Amino acid sequence: MKKFAIGLYVAVTLALMVWGFYQAIYVAPEDAMQGEIYRIIFYHVPSASVAFLFFAISLAGSIGFLSFRRSRAEWAQISDAWALAGAEVGVVFCTVVLITGPIWGRRAWGIWWTWDARLTTTLVLWLIYVSYLLLRRFAAGPQVQTLAAALGIFGALDVPIVYMSNRWWRTQHPAPVFGGSEGSGMAKVMVHPFLWNMLAWLAWGLLILSIRYHVERQHQQNAAAEAQEALESA
Amino acid sequence: MDPAEILDHQFVTAAYIITWALQLGYLAWLGLKWRAEKRAAARRTHRAR
Repeated sequence: MKKFAIGLYVAVTLALMVWGFYQAIYVAPEDAMQGEIYRIIFYHVPSASVAFLFFAISLAGSIGFLSFRRSRAEWAQISDAWALAGAEVGVVFCTVVLITGPIWGRRAWGIWWTWDARLTTTLVLWLIYVSYLLLRRFAAGPQVQTLAAALGIFGALDVPIVYMSNRWWRTQHPAPVFGGSEGSGMAKVMVHPFLWNMLAWLAWGLLILSIRYHVERQHQQNAAAEAQEALESA
Repeated sequence: MDPAEILDHQFVTAAYIITWALQLGYLAWLGLKWRAEKRAAARRTHRAR
């Protein structure tokens, strides 16, 4: 039953990805101002939204780890696995944002990069979570998970700053399309393709996130069993 | 076709291909990592017998 449910979810996700691609390329009309290049929005914005969501999951996992580390060891390990999975998959999506954005910018603005508030805070967010992953990969000792949880919490503080940056400051990056000032928004014929792609990337992201979580849980179980074996053989 | 349109099309194609290369590359890496963890668990179980 579980295998069937997983297979069904994977099939639905793949169907959504194909459907999202079809909507983005063949259904959404050309933009009157930007022409074809605006179609990057169907990958760029959903990737940013999913990255924010996963950094929020990493934040919840980090808080969970710090809350349970002295009282419930198993819950702490589960929280830590979610924190790591959220951070790592979030970095993948944030990398997509930082690559597709400049490709779009080169055609729309004539430049690959500018140090405006939106772009800079997004780069800082990416750097914080890359440092989180480097800490987890290369540091050793019993405090690594605790230090990583603290860094994960500080990293998440940048997410609302990134989100609000083009509302608080004047930026080269366009003003918000959704939830922005009066007159902002998207033509109805473009909204449906956009929402399909949001759904598709969310489904894909959750699939990858759950795989990463299970890999980390397996890793934790292997590490615990090895430590137990080492204790018994000593 | 207008050269600007061709360039736009190439940039969109590049963005989509890079996105998929990153996502599928990461998925492949995850698959390898999962297999390594499963094998480590199987080796441990085998040793315990």
